[in-house]
Amino acid sequence: MVSDEIVLQIEGLSKVYRSLFAPAGTKAVDSLTLGVRRGETYSIVGPNGSGKTTTLKIVLGLIFPTSGKVNIFGSDVADLAVRERVGFLPEDAYLYDVFTGEELLDFYAGLFGYSRRRRKELVDELLSLVGMQANRRVPFQECSKGMRQRLALAQALVNDPELLILDEPTSGLDPAGRHQMTELIYELKRRGKTILLCSHFLAEVEEVCDRVGIMYRGRLVAEGTLTELAGDPTEIVITASGMSPEGASRVAAHSAVLGVEGDVVRMGHESSDRLWSVLDAVREAGGRVAEVHRPRPTLQDVFVRAIRQDAPERDAGEEVH
Amino acid sequence: MGQLAFGIGLLVAIVVLAITHRLWAPAMGHGGASTWRIAKITVAEARRRRVVQAVVVLVLLILLSMTVFSYLNPREQARMIISGGLSAITVFGILLAIFVAAFLIPQELETRTVYAVLSKPVRRFEFVLGKYLGALIILAAIMTIMTVVLVAVLLVMDHFVPDLTYSTFEPNLANVVFAAVMSYFAVAVLSAYIVLISTVSSTAMTVIASFIIWAIGSLQSQIHDLAAGAETVSTKWFFTMFYWLVPPLENFDFRHEVSNFMQVSYKAGIDAAGVGILYIIVVLLVASVFFNDRQV
Ligand SMILES: Nc1ncnc2c1ncn2[C@@H]1O[C@H](COP(=O)(O)OP(=O)(O)OP(=O)(O)O)[C@@H](O)[C@H]1O
Ligand SMILES: [Mg+2]
Repeated sequence: MVSDEIVLQIEGLSKVYRSLFAPAGTKAVDSLTLGVRRGETYSIVGPNGSGKTTTLKIVLGLIFPTSGKVNIFGSDVADLAVRERVGFLPEDAYLYDVFTGEELLDFYAGLFGYSRRRRKELVDELLSLVGMQANRRVPFQECSKGMRQRLALAQALVNDPELLILDEPTSGLDPAGRHQMTELIYELKRRGKTILLCSHFLAEVEEVCDRVGIMYRGRLVAEGTLTELAGDPTEIVITASGMSPEGASRVAAHSAVLGVEGDVVRMGHESSDRLWSVLDAVREAGGRVAEVHRPRPTLQDVFVRAIRQDAPERDAGEEVH
Repeated sequence: MGQLAFGIGLLVAIVVLAITHRLWAPAMGHGGASTWRIAKITVAEARRRRVVQAVVVLVLLILLSMTVFSYLNPREQARMIISGGLSAITVFGILLAIFVAAFLIPQELETRTVYAVLSKPVRRFEFVLGKYLGALIILAAIMTIMTVVLVAVLLVMDHFVPDLTYSTFEPNLANVVFAAVMSYFAVAVLSAYIVLISTVSSTAMTVIASFIIWAIGSLQSQIHDLAAGAETVSTKWFFTMFYWLVPPLENFDFRHEVSNFMQVSYKAGIDAAGVGILYIIVVLLVASVFFNDRQV
């Protein structure tokens, strides 16, 4: 599904917000370079204020970079033809609140010059895709956060875009809502859309992304596929109940075992060929094996590690969920 | 003869443009259509917000309440009603313009509704133009209602007040409508200035600036006098510049002539309207340039 063609290229992007009160400015994005391939789901992950939204807004031409450039489908963002092929879900999206879902989608579809008939079909299609058919006549201001977010996603899909840019698609949603949104993103990915999303909610990103870029204080501090970032498993963890204390100490003495804590036996991944002998030792100690698994570092660990490497003197991992 | 040639030329140009529509429309993108859609949704939004309805009701009440005052002299009463009615139309028109136009764009930025629009194939100037057009339609609707009510009140009076004959009254009705239309032009010009300011500042700042511009615009002739009477070249230059920069609102004010049953120069009105349209075009162009660079 993922091809080598680069659909979105960000190069040396920097953004300094200046104001009367802060003439020196805040550096929100700092020499950011990244590329998104066709069909890929790429996620920018970073704590609050790391510059994710700023980056996406620049990509869409809503704000302008201090330096660097963005290229979409080989063209400049300012090119109107580019925006025909892109969809954007803004952070905390808000739409004209006196209108209903169907009126709003009809309006946004109209901005692409679609005929009345096509708009009608499209609105029906989108409302059922995001599961808003039943609530199509509810004014936006009376919609719950979950309904709003779905309408906002539908709004980003009116032109059946090749490239979707989603700013925190799951923020403000309850667990069920987050799950539904993740499912929707999955579905869009399955339909071959290229997706650039940003989030500080790591667990969800893990589910849907091909590649992740970790952003911290405006810079990309790590980038790669999940396996690249997480690396190989380093240990094997055996959970077994009912080991006698002296049995447990015998297991701990086994040369492949790193340590025993209560019901949990940890052994080095490099000695995986001696797993059976460890399991035998556990059984001899009276333990009933419940589970054997090789934990990968979670994205959370990777995140904290990447930030530590980047800025060891600072308190890393702040505000990460 | 010359007018006929011009008319025919215009007709031919329109027909040619219509026939070749398919050739040039793609190059324009959805330009015209987007502008119109943004205007329409702006109007629809205003209609659904009860604020506008409330203002219309309020204004109608004021206009109607003026009829209950009875004066000794019917002619004097007519004068009062025309003068009061036109003033109400003008002042409410301007106040509404300030509150409609000043919120048009800043509100979109503050509620972030602008992102979903500007990430579509919509040019910044189409957005500005669509918003302005929407405001023009809203204001036109409200001012039309007010004018119709004023005219109705005058007609009813004409019917019931015995000494007021058609001969003294009727011709003035057209003038009343004319004065109201001119007020609308003032409102349109002021709205363009407000939109311009709103492209570079917040809502609150825009509202304040709008009142200042209204005040200065109503003093244009004084500024002209200042320029004429300036002692040094630099002050003369300064006041002349200033004179050209402020909106020419005074030219649209025919309240005095109309309410005093004086001769009204339609030509002066048409000239003022022409100048007004020119100002609107220039001001909106500048607004578009500013908004183009606005970080939204
Ligand atoms: N309009 C603005 N003016 C000035 N500074 C801004 C502006 N927008 C953002 N910033 C600053 O730029 C930095 C990056 O902000 P940005 O919104 O891009 O972060 P983010 O990664 O999207 O954060 P979050 O996870 O909270 O959405 C922050 O320090 C923020 O304060
Ligand atoms: Mg953000």
